Amino acid sequence: MSTVASAVPAIELRGLIKDFSVGLRGVKLRAVDDLSLRVPAGQVFGLLGPNGSGKSTTIKIILGLLEPTAGGCRVFGLPSTQVEARVDVGYLPESPYFYRHLSGRELVRFYARICGLGGAKVAPRVAEVIDWVGLTEAADRLVGTYSKGMLQRIGLAQALVHDPRLVILDEPTSGVDPVGAAAISELILQLKAQGKTVLITSHLLTQIEEICDRVAILDRGRLILEGAVCDLVGRAERQALIVEKLSPSELQELRGWLGLRGRTLEAVTAPRARLDQIFLERVGRGEAKNPEGGG
Amino acid sequence: MSRVHFSLIRVLLIARNTLLEASRQKLFSFLLLLALGLVGGAQSFREFNFGASELKFLADLGYGAMAFFGAALTITATAQLFFSEIENRTALTLLAKPVWRAEFMLGKYLGVVAVTAVFCALMTVLLVAVLWSRESALLRDIPDSFTQGRTLRIADLLLAGYLQWLKLTVLAAFTLLVASFSRTQLFTVVTGFFVLVICHLQYLARDAYAQGGSTFAQVAAGFVGLLFPNFQLFNFADDVGAGIPVAWDRVARVSVYALGHVAAACGLAVFSFRKREI
Repeated sequence: MSTVASAVPAIELRGLIKDFSVGLRGVKLRAVDDLSLRVPAGQVFGLLGPNGSGKSTTIKIILGLLEPTAGGCRVFGLPSTQVEARVDVGYLPESPYFYRHLSGRELVRFYARICGLGGAKVAPRVAEVIDWVGLTEAADRLVGTYSKGMLQRIGLAQALVHDPRLVILDEPTSGVDPVGAAAISELILQLKAQGKTVLITSHLLTQIEEICDRVAILDRGRLILEGAVCDLVGRAERQALIVEKLSPSELQELRGWLGLRGRTLEAVTAPRARLDQIFLERVGRGEAKNPEGGG
Repeated sequence: MSRVHFSLIRVLLIARNTLLEASRQKLFSFLLLLALGLVGGAQSFREFNFGASELKFLADLGYGAMAFFGAALTITATAQLFFSEIENRTALTLLAKPVWRAEFMLGKYLGVVAVTAVFCALMTVLLVAVLWSRESALLRDIPDSFTQGRTLRIADLLLAGYLQWLKLTVLAAFTLLVASFSRTQLFTVVTGFFVLVICHLQYLARDAYAQGGSTFAQVAAGFVGLLFPNFQLFNFADDVGAGIPVAWDRVARVSVYALGHVAAACGLAVFSFRKREI
């Protein structure tokens, strides 16, 4: 990718407004309200917000599936309403329902050919992305027989088959168990390592915190917070020290030592392991690529 | 970035996928049952043996079944295969790729047309076989009724099947037009049958009003005649069953007539679907 190309943001929203007409009287419902946002190329960007906050509508506008009522949306510098803007975009929809009558391999091949891949390149590329998402063993089964986790993975395969620069993942871990969710997080980090831009929405904020460089939080269609994850969750003026358990007298001594220096010991707590970490340790991340274990 | 041009390859890929979906939904099992029913029904008329007119009766029955079940198949398959994409949100994934909406609509249309082609081909071949076999039996049993030899012409029987299919392609285009703006599958199916009735009966209204209706009624009937194709033009079964040769120039005119209506309906469907929010 050239320097000039990387200077262009992957996604740029300017004053985006989307109204829907509701009911016979055509009452306007504003789903996205004056949203301006830049998603720099090469980053993992989290789009957060409660249900109905306008995340999916924003994604549909980025993909050219909806036209904005006002404002603009550009993907790698091209208006999102142009078909050309979707050439470098891969999309995994929320709760993906793919053609149940196709096998996983047929499905990915179909989308590969739709995206313009042809000839001898198709079969190896299809096999490569299916292997990458860990579905090789189940590739020739009908999609209709796939579990939720497997559907998300085959969805990821179809989104990546044409090697897009921007990957949009709408709730990729929705309904997926912790093992499957961890596997998807790993795949997203691999995408980042490959230099791809990832736009992700998720209600799993722990996952977002672990994998995203930047996040934006929407509420009722409006942007209420945006910034780098480390800036938003870090508290530079405070520190936590983890030491072996201190006796009450040692603790009292520490308080006195800090007091002499004008500092206060604000909290003494026992560190707790996260439940998802315990789950993953016991169930094993190694099983995350087991095709049967995704959902 | 280079321009993404309209691609016939993408249209054919979507059409192939639509046909595959129909076949894997056991749609063709229904066709097989229908075909077996036709053969069985024809066999039962062996009891009657009422000479050459029996062949006309069998031809009417066969082409009538093809028209009736073909229309039902076309309307329901068009609505179902279109709305399955919308309701299952597979259209979302597909249209998020560099795919023109016109390619999507034409792909769906050609997929349905392929389904109807399989149906008509199967039914026509079976009907020809049944008629040929029955005529051979009648020639043997009552040769006096066939002094000039065989009355049926295979080419004409095949042509009549082709014209039935042509009619279904027009019906599919009109059903797709309705689906392009309709919000529900049920509305599309009901409106599709309504269109079918208008297309079959509009000539009656035009004839009736031309002979004595008010000016307004004549203009209204003429307008309906312009908007909706006249499906009676596609009916060659009576002539074929009676052994009357089919005029090729008439077939050519009807083909052009059908193509014009298909182009207009598909064009409007693409235009209507262009801004539809998925």
